[in-house]
Amino acid sequence: MADDATRRAVSQIPLLKTHAGPRDRSLWPLRLKEEYQALIKFVEQNKEADNDWFRLESNADGTRWTGTCWFIHDLLRYEFRLEFDVPVTYPDTAPEVAVPELDGKTAKMYRGGKICLTEHFAPLWARNAPRFGLAHLMALGLGPWLAVEVPDLISKGLVVHKEGQRETAE
Amino acid sequence: MAADWEEIRRLAADFQRAQFADTVQRLSERNCIEIISKLVQEKKLDVVHTTDGKEYITPAQISREIRDELYVHGGRINIVDLQQIINVDWVHVESRANDIAKSDKGVQLVLGQLIDDTYLDRLAEEVNDKLQEAGLITISELCKNYDLPGDFLTEELSKRLGKLIQGEMDQYNRGVIFTPAFVARHKARIRGLFSGITRPTPVSSMIGVFGFQEHLLYSVLEELVNTGRLKGSVVGGRQDKAVYIPDIYARTQNTWVDSFLQQNGYLEFDALVRLGIPDPPTYIKKRFKSNKLLFLRAACVGKTLVDQVEASVEEAVNSSTWTDIQPILPSCLTDEDVGMLISQAMRNTNVHSSARILGGTVVVSEKFISNCLTLFDEAMQQKAQKEVKNNPVFLISENDVKQASALTESSALSKKEKREAERRKKATEGSGSVKAGGGGNAREIRIRKTKKKGRKEEDSDDETGPSQQNRSKQTEAPFMAQEEIVAVLEERVSDCPEEILSELAEHLVRPLNKAYQEVLRTVFMSSSSSPSGANKKKSMKDLQEEITNLYNNIRLFEKGTKFFSDETQVHISKHILKTLCTDVTNILVNFLAADLMMSAENPSSITTEVRVKILSKLSEETKGPLMKLHNSLNGKAIEDFLTNIESCAEVCGFMLKKGDKKRERQALFVHRHALTEQLKETEDPALVLHLTSVLLFQASTNCMLHAPGRCVPQIIGTLTGRIPTEQQQLLSAYQSLVVKQLVSQSQSKKQEEAGEEANKEEEQDEEGRSVRTQLINLMPQVKDLVLSQKKLSVTEE
Repeated sequence: MADDATRRAVSQIPLLKTHAGPRDRSLWPLRLKEEYQALIKFVEQNKEADNDWFRLESNADGTRWTGTCWFIHDLLRYEFRLEFDVPVTYPDTAPEVAVPELDGKTAKMYRGGKICLTEHFAPLWARNAPRFGLAHLMALGLGPWLAVEVPDLISKGLVVHKEGQRETAE
Repeated sequence: MAADWEEIRRLAADFQRAQFADTVQRLSERNCIEIISKLVQEKKLDVVHTTDGKEYITPAQISREIRDELYVHGGRINIVDLQQIINVDWVHVESRANDIAKSDKGVQLVLGQLIDDTYLDRLAEEVNDKLQEAGLITISELCKNYDLPGDFLTEELSKRLGKLIQGEMDQYNRGVIFTPAFVARHKARIRGLFSGITRPTPVSSMIGVFGFQEHLLYSVLEELVNTGRLKGSVVGGRQDKAVYIPDIYARTQNTWVDSFLQQNGYLEFDALVRLGIPDPPTYIKKRFKSNKLLFLRAACVGKTLVDQVEASVEEAVNSSTWTDIQPILPSCLTDEDVGMLISQAMRNTNVHSSARILGGTVVVSEKFISNCLTLFDEAMQQKAQKEVKNNPVFLISENDVKQASALTESSALSKKEKREAERRKKATEGSGSVKAGGGGNAREIRIRKTKKKGRKEEDSDDETGPSQQNRSKQTEAPFMAQEEIVAVLEERVSDCPEEILSELAEHLVRPLNKAYQEVLRTVFMSSSSSPSGANKKKSMKDLQEEITNLYNNIRLFEKGTKFFSDETQVHISKHILKTLCTDVTNILVNFLAADLMMSAENPSSITTEVRVKILSKLSEETKGPLMKLHNSLNGKAIEDFLTNIESCAEVCGFMLKKGDKKRERQALFVHRHALTEQLKETEDPALVLHLTSVLLFQASTNCMLHAPGRCVPQIIGTLTGRIPTEQQQLLSAYQSLVVKQLVSQSQSKKQEEAGEEANKEEEQDEEGRSVRTQLINLMPQVKDLVLSQKKLSVTEE
């Protein structure tokens, strides 16, 4: 599902070692540290490749993440908010990323705006747990979903470009 | 744990920072190309893409790169190479290169190559190095080495001459550069070389031998000569034939010429040419402007020498002698020059009319010549006397026996002279006209000799010797042959060279001859006028007698012819005409000729031509009849002749008496007597027969007969019937024998002498021997026939 560029990008993201969920008080910070390092690396990579497409920030204990993501189509930038919680079974279970703005506009979405990643992403994640982290989730999960769904939605007129959207996002 | 969370917070902050860091703006390649091409299209951007299309480059950058490359390549780069290095279209490179060359004074575009000043400076330095090493460098060589055009190189190098290049360019040949050292060395060599030259030397040969730079050599040479370092001069400019003449040479030349002229008083052009002076006359004229030199053909002569010659000429003239200029003159002067010099001297001294030049070098005063003439006066008188006395001896005709000796003498003389003339001619061949007279003489003599036969009368008087001036048809008696004159002169005039004498003699011959003619005439007049009157009368009488006799004889003979048939008559008449009549005519003619001083001593020797010549000289009144007479000699009839001779005799003043009977008989007797005497003497059978028959004829017919031997048979024929038969038989027998003998004789002699009748039979063949004996036997009888009869007839009378 992911293209070559994505694959290459993903292969550059360092794999994680610590197998710990948020409930695991002692190991979670280690895991969280690795998550952050992987994300930093991934963002740096993206920036370097002029392929920056999201912003993320977490709460203090790193269980809830919020941010924005955007997609450029026809030289127009379409930006969406995103949010997800780190499940207690993490890292065995992948977090469910939700784009609330697109709730109800596409079929590949669950109630509450959670994007549907089960078909391809879930087996991939399951095979690579616990080495995959949040950076992989973004790169292999949300990235490809946006690339498929946003142009479709724009063509259907369900998503309209909003002037000044970028300015507000930044 | 807290540290972990602390670290997590820090990582989260790092993450946020990383997320909000600027992203690198990236455009895709085709976007870029699109954007740029748009910009270029709208002329908002001025860039050039490289040939591989991967890069854009601004013209300024091209310029910069070109400069860089130029620098990297040492200041010289080909535009083609540049194009490959910069990887931009050639057009841009070239235009930029042009711009650079235009805008930057230090950079030039030459033959598609960019060249900057540093390169040229370096090149100049290199050239300088080479130049210092070699001393000279040719631009053409540099052109080859650096592959640059000569004009460009010349210009650039000449800019740097004296700065980077320690050398100088030849002013005249801009293709060569010298170092001062080279020039100095060259100069030193030239200075040394030309200082050492002591004789004129062609500059070109020096170039060849010593390998000088031609133009440098000339300029240096000029400079050296002009500054006076080299004492000499260059003649002939800057061409191949330029010759350097050192002053020392000119000086020695001049001193030599001066001293030679001073010492010898003349200058030979040849000698000057040998000294290397190309045009002696102009040189001499220039050098000795003030001196008055006499220019001859191959030399010039100083005043002193001319004076000397003049003095001696003058002296010779004044002392009326001769002088030989030859010893005074330098031996090298040619005959022509000597002639010119002497004639000049004579003109200067104004003695041209009173002196003459003989033998090229000898001046003889006219007085001397006239003195010489007087030497001959006496001899002339004597000779004239002798001549007059001998005059008859020296009269007509070569046939004369006496004349023969004179002739041989003269021919011997002339031969000798001819030889002499030839010798002289050879000796003086081609040496001017003065002596050509000798050769001319020889020719004249030859002409004369060939003409002699043709005009015996005219020239008969000259027979004694050849004379020089016989072209004029005057009759002249020469005085002396040239040789004789020379001999006389040699005796009288001592210490004269022989050649001069002969030439002097040549000069004298004519006046002498003239004088001699005068003398001869006077002498002749004086001697001949008195006695000739008596002589003439006497001779007239004799002549008249003789002519009358002959005339009568002829008439008698004519009578005798009547007895014969017509044919025989003609034969006999002709015979008579040829013999007796001719004699008469000759006597007459000779008599007339004597009046004109042309007479021959022996009239019988006059031939037909001579007669005609004489006749043509005669006066008109006598000429006519005599001409007729002369013509009748060739006729057939004696009667014509007789009538003619009568008229002639009248004209000449003779009386022709017709013979009476008594005279006739006397004549007959005389004739017979003469014949019988002859018969007695002779032994020749033919003559015996002839005489006998004639005598018998006369006896029988009483007519005189004068017949040729050819007519003997006819005579005998007429005798038949007039003489006794036995006599007749004897005669015919004898006749047949004579005929036999003659036939055999002629056979034996193989017709050599067939025509001749009376020939001695010395070589008779055996056949004829018997005839001969018979003849001898019969001869007395035959003779007796007449002799006995004669006695009879004599007794009868």
